[in-house]
Amino acid sequence: MDSHHFLILSTLIFSIGFLGIFINRKNIITILMSIELMLLAASINFIGFSYILNDLFGQIFALFILVVAAAEAAIGLAILTIFFKKSGSISIDIISRLKG
Amino acid sequence: MLILFYFFSFVLILSSLFVVFSSNPVHSVLFLIFTFFNAAVIFLLSNAEFLAMTLLIVYVGAVAVLFLFVVMMLNIKEVILKEGFLKYFPFGMLLISIFLIELLMIFNNTDFSQAIGMGININELIASGNENTKSIGLFLYTDFFIIFQISGFMLLVAMIGAIVLAHDENYNLKRQNPLNQKILNKKDVIKLN
Repeated sequence: MDSHHFLILSTLIFSIGFLGIFINRKNIITILMSIELMLLAASINFIGFSYILNDLFGQIFALFILVVAAAEAAIGLAILTIFFKKSGSISIDIISRLKG
Repeated sequence: MLILFYFFSFVLILSSLFVVFSSNPVHSVLFLIFTFFNAAVIFLLSNAEFLAMTLLIVYVGAVAVLFLFVVMMLNIKEVILKEGFLKYFPFGMLLISIFLIELLMIFNNTDFSQAIGMGININELIASGNENTKSIGLFLYTDFFIIFQISGFMLLVAMIGAIVLAHDENYNLKRQNPLNQKILNKKDVIKLN
């Protein structure tokens, strides 16, 4: 496995996550899942270069990315739940109400 | 090895496309779980066993199940994807193509074989008898101790934040009023026939 394999794979997954943010205008849960995909792409890049360079640093950093992803999912879903309780919808178009 | 890598990357990309494009959020979450399984196999192929198992436990066991709970709790009907689709899709494609062209230019003009690591050689660690998990532990608790503590604090803050946000104090809570308790008389409460 070459470095280009990992680079192209993570680029494609990152782009799919990026596309998901744009096309899912009605559903914030899918946007949160797209962010998870983007973080996964970053992890794949770290792990891939850890494999190519024979260096453990990438694996340790991928562990910290895992922490960030878990914290982000917990906070995002909590905000989403109370927003749904208040407004009865999770559409992007009305979430601009959050700005005070 | 390479065939396995190609196969699992293909399935990974396909299932992440399904995550983004499926109109039912439950299907999206299930495909997200499938994506994480394939990513774990990619990690295994890259000799990162501990990270692969952690990915399965943390992502599939915690995060994806959390997503699934929220999707089922909110009871969202199938969203009409087509409404803003044509309006935003070309703009998104434009941004993504710019991004991809930039990255491809970087990939073509950079010689990644000249890259050097941070000096934690896996081969030396394995030669001295440390497997993957043990060598991660050797460095995580010594050289990266501060970052490890900070990430622990970040998880604590996220936990407290999620509880504070989602906790509803007045929902379904039985509480006694001290004043009402105080003004009760004995003969109002106890009746003997």
